[in-house]
Amino acid sequence: MARYILRRLAFLLVSLALASVVLFVLLRLLPGDPANALTSVGAAPEQIAAARHSIGSDRPLPEQFAHWIGQLASGDLGTSFISSLPVGPEVGARLRVTVPLTLAAFVLAVLIAVPAGFLAAYKRRTWYGALLNGVSQLGIAVPVFWLGMVLIAVFALNGGWLPAGGFPQDGWAEPAEAMRSLVLPVATIALVMSASLIRYVRSATLDVLGSDYLRTARALGSSFGRAMWRHGLRNAAVPVISILGIELASTLLGAVVVESVYALPGLGSLLATGIAQHDYPVIQGVLFVSTLAVLLIGFAADILQRIIDPRLRGRLSGGAR
Amino acid sequence: MSRPSTRHSATLIAGCVTAGLIALLALVSLLWVPYAPDDTSGGRLAGPGGGHLLGTDKLGRDLFTQLMTGSRIAFEAGLGSVLIAAAIGITLGVLAAFTRGWLDDTLAALLDILIAFPTLLLAMLVVAARSATLASAVLAIGLAQSAVVGRLVRILVKRVLAQDYITAARTSGTSWPRIVAGHVLPNIWPTLVVNLALQFGLAILAEAGLSYLGLGAPPPNASWGRMLQEAQATFTTAPAGALAPGILLVMLVIGVNLIADGLRDTLDPAARGRR
Amino acid sequence: MNITKISLYSGAALLGLTLTACGGGAGGSGAAGGAYDKNATVNIGSLYEPQNLDNTAGGGQGVTEALNGNVYEGLFKLTDTGKVEKLLAKDYKVSPDGLTYTFTLRDGVTFHSGKKLTSEDVKYSLEKVLAKDSQSARKSNLEVVKSIATPDARTVRVRLSKKSISFVYNLSYVWIVNSQAKNLKTSEDGTGPYRLRKWTRGSALALDRFAGYWGGAARNKQAVFHYYKDATALNNALLTGAVDVVTSEQSPDALDQFKNNQNYKVSDGNSTTKLLLAFNDKAKPFTDVKVRQAVSSAIDDKKLLESVWGGYGKLIGSMVPPTDPWYEDLTKVNAYDPARAKRLLAEAGYKKGFTFTLETPNYDPHPIAATFIKSQLAKVGVTVKINTITPDQWYTKVYQNRDFTATLQEHVNDRDLVWYGDPNFYWGYDNKQVTQWVDQAEQASTTAEQTRLLKKVNRKTAEDAASDWLYLYPQIVVANSKLSGYPVNGLNSQFYAYDIKKG
Repeated sequence: MARYILRRLAFLLVSLALASVVLFVLLRLLPGDPANALTSVGAAPEQIAAARHSIGSDRPLPEQFAHWIGQLASGDLGTSFISSLPVGPEVGARLRVTVPLTLAAFVLAVLIAVPAGFLAAYKRRTWYGALLNGVSQLGIAVPVFWLGMVLIAVFALNGGWLPAGGFPQDGWAEPAEAMRSLVLPVATIALVMSASLIRYVRSATLDVLGSDYLRTARALGSSFGRAMWRHGLRNAAVPVISILGIELASTLLGAVVVESVYALPGLGSLLATGIAQHDYPVIQGVLFVSTLAVLLIGFAADILQRIIDPRLRGRLSGGAR
Repeated sequence: MSRPSTRHSATLIAGCVTAGLIALLALVSLLWVPYAPDDTSGGRLAGPGGGHLLGTDKLGRDLFTQLMTGSRIAFEAGLGSVLIAAAIGITLGVLAAFTRGWLDDTLAALLDILIAFPTLLLAMLVVAARSATLASAVLAIGLAQSAVVGRLVRILVKRVLAQDYITAARTSGTSWPRIVAGHVLPNIWPTLVVNLALQFGLAILAEAGLSYLGLGAPPPNASWGRMLQEAQATFTTAPAGALAPGILLVMLVIGVNLIADGLRDTLDPAARGRR
Repeated sequence: MNITKISLYSGAALLGLTLTACGGGAGGSGAAGGAYDKNATVNIGSLYEPQNLDNTAGGGQGVTEALNGNVYEGLFKLTDTGKVEKLLAKDYKVSPDGLTYTFTLRDGVTFHSGKKLTSEDVKYSLEKVLAKDSQSARKSNLEVVKSIATPDARTVRVRLSKKSISFVYNLSYVWIVNSQAKNLKTSEDGTGPYRLRKWTRGSALALDRFAGYWGGAARNKQAVFHYYKDATALNNALLTGAVDVVTSEQSPDALDQFKNNQNYKVSDGNSTTKLLLAFNDKAKPFTDVKVRQAVSSAIDDKKLLESVWGGYGKLIGSMVPPTDPWYEDLTKVNAYDPARAKRLLAEAGYKKGFTFTLETPNYDPHPIAATFIKSQLAKVGVTVKINTITPDQWYTKVYQNRDFTATLQEHVNDRDLVWYGDPNFYWGYDNKQVTQWVDQAEQASTTAEQTRLLKKVNRKTAEDAASDWLYLYPQIVVANSKLSGYPVNGLNSQFYAYDIKKG
């Protein structure tokens, strides 16, 4: 196992290095000019050229790349072309909104989806099994911004119980307010996420329920609960963990619509602004950090899967892949 | 599981009816709409009735016309994205499945990173490179989904390649292209078709989200997402504009998902027990 | 201390109680009778976050809104009613030839860092606007400055290369910054009534009352600008009391919920933002005056304005809004008349119409206006292809490369008629006579003469349909009824916060 972890870690580092090169090249292939964001109507051509020069976007690409890699090596994500703020601390500030948002929504979604998905499978012949299935179908089909609008209307505008959006400027220095402002966004993401998770859990449970080893175990006299615990859970968990890892990773950046509806200063909205302004250091910084997060989550999911299912241990990448 | 098939076909039929209704609306919109899409002769935010089934928008355009055009755009978005996703995804997935060692791992990691990269941000990049059109949105959605499809194809193909008959075919000297055409594809397509049907529904949702943010189909061809965005502020005064596209969107996605479920039951014998 | 907490509490009070409920800070005593809380926090909601904090480095509209007059001051200021008043300049003299301006600085002015204001700072600030890498929108206007001298610490003498009657007006856009300050893109050192407490990018910018201010102290202790990307989210914030005032509503759709509610006040002020259908006057077929006139006559601006803004906003017949001194009602020139449009098209040789591409920025109101224009022009046989582009693409394709036939764009500044005198501007309007008038107007000795000449420019460009000026935006400020003293006109997107009283 230790050898596996080492190999997997080396692989992680190589992927990260590759990803950062690909990222840099792809971004620069995009047409667009960061100087435009600094320009206003009335600017002379020389002013625009001066803007390019002052942010350094007119320098040759290899030079810019070397500059970026040099900074990265010393733990610096660079400085925004547009705001002149250092990217690292800014990404850090956004993570303090996005990570709690994502994790809380994720945990809530799992808490809803695992029992609900199991019930939807195990009791699929009953009315509530069907109802659960139907609700999850509906949940998948509802656009997230629409759900956000409804929740705001009910809980913020009519009820007045929760803020309609925003995040305290002093952040977690005001824990109560910070938490209050995350309640609705967390609920929105969790509801949408659990709808699709329920279907995965249901399908994984059905696989297990129909499997030979469960029947064998029961035939050998294990109680259903015991058989499910010893064999079922383990087998159902492996594919589900893989899906969970992906859901978690994609929510980190994918919360951008929710961030827009609830006016949250999260990582997704930083990236969206960065893309609109062609602010390469910001885009690179955000994507570098999120790529790292994705790789780490994948790493954790693989290790977890191996702990659960020893049969996978001979292979490098995840069992459910 | 004595009566699965009837229940399964019921799912398929329910899905076909729901999605079919909207498909019909889309087909009719090709031949006839109540008003021209850019006809602004109706009054500002007129209520339902008076020649306008659902009323009009700010510019005085007929909402029902927009709804019909929107259904066409939804189908275009769904089909276009799925085609792109299938073309790229299958190629990548098959390639990844046939390679081994670090190349396989790298391709797998690449697909994982791509999956984690949200459609929306990919779309912003594509829009930044091209302009905000339906084609840009479809391209972005298709690219994002190709990673999901590629990942699935890789797993499926690997599973098939591990089977004994592949080994047998190889030892008897069958060429790789023939193995792919003769053994791999026939074995994976049921699962693949089901997944592509699911992607179709997701693509429609994604296009609505992009249009909501102003990155989808340009005016005057309103997509449902754009209609929802425009109607958001007038929700209390003119609810028809927000409700109608929302309901159709949900109906279409559920319909397509039901079709996917139904297909899984009919096409994919291995999964039959699950439903 | 804890701003958001206060605002949220006041929000809860607002929803449940009546107008006189005291929800603000410690000393709130109701709205009536002019009594107000001197230590209140005013929460201001806006869609325009600064890109950075320097208005010579591309800070954008947002930095003007938040910092102009609040944190930074110029030698002169442009009041909310459009008048130019002395601010850091106590006095100034112009030489008889109009080429030398001598400014005397106000006494006792200190920067937020504690340093005293001297003539060196004024010189530095002007040079900063004129520097090679300056992104100031006023750089070209101020390039008449030939030399700046500082005879003593309180006197600045500026020599111009030619007469410039707008010089003093243009100086109201020049922030006086501490010449020794560093990092002005992310921090500040101005002389205004507020100092920057904290800028949290993506969410808020907080200003604290500056105790050492030379003039009358701000009427509130803190002004916090909260930034939203989405108009609905912004209105929700106002409805729940998270913000007290919205600097500029961008759609009339949400206004009904505020208009019929005694807890809010909706004010309809003057703006300087114009929506233009800008032709490329150097590209066929818009090289032909008749074609431009025809297109202008084919579009029913009134109906467009009604569609986009309900009952708000004004019609304009030229680039000049009513607040500019050379305003003249020209809405009758090239007014809506489809029959005339058809006739003009036939005269220009386009009896069967033509097709052109309209470059349309992807944010409101451009897509909706483009749709409307398409439907209107279809009636006179002209086909419009709408090409939706991002702001970045607009700057590259339209503004720099002039690779367009026609485009939609909003022009926000006042007194920007003069761009029609620049044949190199993006819309390519090139009329020697107009260029000469604009030049002469700038070198006029009296404002009367300047006005007379610019009125001629105004009429000529309108008759030539140099562009089609669709309408003038309204400037709608919605505020909690507990608030008073906020600016309602928002000229050039300024928003002075220091007079705001919170009851």
